[in-house]
Amino acid sequence: MTAVDSAAAKATAASAEPLLRVEGLVKHFPVRGGVLNAVRGHVHAVNGVSLAVYRGEVVGVVGESGCGKSTLGKLVIRLIEPTRGTITYAGQEITGLGHADLMPFRRKMQIIFQDPFSSLNPRLTVAGLLKEAVRFHRVVPPGEVDAYVSGLIAKVGLRTEARGKFPHEFSGGQRQRIGIARALATNPEFIVADEPVSALDVSIQAQVLNLMTDLKTDLGLTILFISHDLKVVEHFCDRVLVMYLGFVVEELPCARLHERAMHPYTRALLGANPIDDPDDRRPLTILKGDVPSPLTPPKGCPFAGRCPQVIDRCRSEMPPLENKSDGQRVACWAV
Amino acid sequence: MVALGVIACYAAIGLWVLGTDAAKRLGERTGWWSVPASPLLDALTVERADEVVGAPEIPGFGIRPRPEERVRIAQSYLDEFRKRVNIRVRNRAEADQRAADAIAGIRFAEATPPNWPIAEFRERIKAALDDLDAIAEVGEVDRHPELLPRIEKVERDIASMLVAPAGVRGMLYHARLALGTDRQGRSILVRAVYSIKVAIQIGLVVALVAVLFGSVLGAAAAFFGGWVDLAVVWLYSTLSSLPDLVLLGVLVFMFTGSIFDDVTKPWLSLVPIYAAMCLTFWIGPCRVVRGEVMKIKELEYIQAARAIGFGRAYILIRHALPNTLHLMFINFSLLFIAAIKNEVVLSFLGLGVKVGPSWGRMIQESTPQVINGFYWQIGAATVFMFFLVLAFNIVSDALQDAFDPKHVS
Ligand SMILES: Nc1ncnc2c1ncn2[C@@H]1O[C@H](COP(=O)(O)OP(=O)(O)O)[C@@H](O)[C@H]1O
Ligand code: SF4
Ligand SMILES: [Mg+2]
Repeated sequence: MTAVDSAAAKATAASAEPLLRVEGLVKHFPVRGGVLNAVRGHVHAVNGVSLAVYRGEVVGVVGESGCGKSTLGKLVIRLIEPTRGTITYAGQEITGLGHADLMPFRRKMQIIFQDPFSSLNPRLTVAGLLKEAVRFHRVVPPGEVDAYVSGLIAKVGLRTEARGKFPHEFSGGQRQRIGIARALATNPEFIVADEPVSALDVSIQAQVLNLMTDLKTDLGLTILFISHDLKVVEHFCDRVLVMYLGFVVEELPCARLHERAMHPYTRALLGANPIDDPDDRRPLTILKGDVPSPLTPPKGCPFAGRCPQVIDRCRSEMPPLENKSDGQRVACWAV
Repeated sequence: MVALGVIACYAAIGLWVLGTDAAKRLGERTGWWSVPASPLLDALTVERADEVVGAPEIPGFGIRPRPEERVRIAQSYLDEFRKRVNIRVRNRAEADQRAADAIAGIRFAEATPPNWPIAEFRERIKAALDDLDAIAEVGEVDRHPELLPRIEKVERDIASMLVAPAGVRGMLYHARLALGTDRQGRSILVRAVYSIKVAIQIGLVVALVAVLFGSVLGAAAAFFGGWVDLAVVWLYSTLSSLPDLVLLGVLVFMFTGSIFDDVTKPWLSLVPIYAAMCLTFWIGPCRVVRGEVMKIKELEYIQAARAIGFGRAYILIRHALPNTLHLMFINFSLLFIAAIKNEVVLSFLGLGVKVGPSWGRMIQESTPQVINGFYWQIGAATVFMFFLVLAFNIVSDALQDAFDPKHVS
C-alpha cells in the first residue's frame, strides 16, 4: 500500500535529521516478592534498542508476544521511564524532561492501543473524551471545539450520532476508530500504533488499516507501527525492526522483504506467514524450543536455543547489530 | 422492586419526622407557626416520642394484660394520682402546678379503660374529683377567690377526658396505643417510627462519610503508590487487626466527658457515634477501591490520558475514580446497614444514642421486660429494623449482581 511513497520518503529521510532517534534504550522491570517485598530480579524487557524514524515514515516493530514491543512503544513516548538510553525528538532530547517540559511533546506524540475495550474510559462519551484532550492542549479556540470534534469523528469514519454515545455502544472496530480519533485529537505528528488491529476480526483489520493509511497520507503522520504479524507490517510499513527478547535482531526495508531477510528469526517469521496464502496463519511454534526467560537473558545470541543455524560462537558471544547493505542491519554470526 | 418500595417508605417516614421536627424547632424559635397546634404534624416529633401516653407496659393491639397484671397497673397509677391531688395548695403558682399534675394523673388513668371495668374507673375518678373539691374547701379558695375559676377549669378538663377523644385526635390516640407502651408509659409505636429517622440519619452520615473518605484514600494510595500507599495500607491493616466492635466501643468511650457528652444538645451527642463509625468503617471501601484502582491504573485508557499529558490528580479524579462508582454504591449500602446494626450494639452497651429514642435504646430498655414476658417493645424495634435491613440487603445484592463483571459481558 505504502510501498509507492516509501521510496520518496527514504530519499528525504537519508538527508534529514530523524524525527525520532532512540539510542541504547534499556528497560528493566524490577520483580518484587518474598519477605519485605524485596527486588528479586529484573525483567529485561528492552535491551539496548537503537532506532531512527524519519518524518513521514512508517516503521514497523515485529516480534513474538512478550518480546518488549509495547514496552519500547511506551518508552519512546515517555509513558514509562527508561532504565538507560536516550530518546531524541526533533533534535531535542526528551529523556530527562519533567511533566511540564514534556507538554509540547505530549501534544505531538500520541499512542493507539491494542485492546479496543480497555483503551476507552467507559464513563466518557466520544465527544467527552475528545473534547477533553482538545481543550487541554488548546488545539483550537474554545468556540471551535465542537466543530473540531465533529471533524475528528468524521475523519475516522464514524457517524455524527457517535458524539453522545458511550464506548460500550460500539463494536470493536468502531472503538478502535474512536481510539484513533483520540490519538489525533491533539493534532500530533508522531503516533505509536501498538498492535492497533491485532484484536480485530480480519475483515475489520483491513478497514482500520485502510483508514490509517488514508490518515497517514492526509495528515503527514509519522508512525511507529507495532505488530506481531509480519504480514501486516510488510504491507503497512516502509521499514521494519524485528525484535527478539528485547533485542533488535534485524532491521530492513519492507520492499522485497522475502528476498532480503537474512536473520534466521526473521526467516522463521516469514515462513510462518506464507505470502501466497493469506488465510494460512500457522502459529510461530514451527520454531522448536522456548524463548529464554527475560529474567535471565542468555550471554550469547538470545535466539541460539531455537536457531537452525546455531554455531558454537552463538552461545558465548552476543552478535552485534551490523550494517549490511542499503539500510539493513542484522545481528547474527551466520550472515 | 419491593425492596426499593420498602426503602422509599422508610425514607419518606424519615423525611417526615425530620421535617416536622425541624419545623417545630423553627416555629418555636421564630414564632411564625406552631406545630403542636396541628395534631397530625405534631404526631411524630421527639416530644411525642418522649411523652407519657398511658400506663406503663400496656400490651399492643388492645390485648388485655393478665388480671393480676391489671391490678398492679391500676394500683400504680391510682397511687400516683392520689399523691398528686392530695397536696394542699399553698400559693398560686403551686395551685397551677398541682392542677396540671392532676390532669396528667387523669391522662395516666385515661389510658386504662381497655384494661379496667369502666364503672370502677368512673368511680375512682369521681373520688379523685372529690379530692380536688376538698382542696378547694379547705379554705384556700376563700382566701384566694381567683382560684375558683381555675379549679373549675380543672374539673372541666377532667370531665372532658372521661370521654375518649374523637376525630383526628382520637385516631392518633388509638394509634399511639396500638403497639402498647414502654416502662415509662411512652408509645412504643411512636418511638419505633421516630427511630426510623434516627437510624437513617446515622446510616446516611456514616455511610456517606466513610465511603467518600475510604474511597479517596484508597484511590490515592493505589494511584500514587510509594509511601502514600504504604502509609494507607499500614493504617488500615493496623485498624482492621482490632475487632470492629472493640474499636467502635473504645472510640465512642473516648468521647465520654467531652463537650459531645451533653444530653442537652441532641445533635452534638451523636457526633461520637458518627466519628467512631466513620473511623472504623472507611477501611472496607478503602480496601476495595484501592484494589480496583490498582487494576484500572494499568488499563490503556489511563495510559492514553497520561499520553495526552493530563496531571495525575486529574486522571485520578476524572478517569479512575468514576470507574469505581459501582463499588462505592455497593459499599454505601453495606455500610448503611452496618451503621444501623452497630448503633443497636453500641446502645445496648450504653454507648449509643443518648437523647431521644432509637431502636438500640428500645432494645436495651426492653431487656428486663422480656424476662417478664413483655415482648412489645423489643418486637417493634426489631421488626422495624428487620425490614429496613432486609430491604437494603436485597438492594445491595442486586447492586453487586448488576455490577459483577461476570454478568456484564
Ligand atoms: N509493568 C511491568 N512490570 C513488569 N514486567 C513488565 C511490565 N510490562 C511489561 N513487562 C514484561 O516485559 C516483557 C515485555 O512486555 P511487552 O513489552 O508488553 O511485550 P509485547 O508488547 O512485545 O508483547 C514481558 O516479559 C512482560 O512480562
Ligand atoms: S547468532 Fe547464531 S544463534 Fe543467533 S541467530 Fe545467528 S546463527 Fe542463530
Ligand atoms: Mg504488546
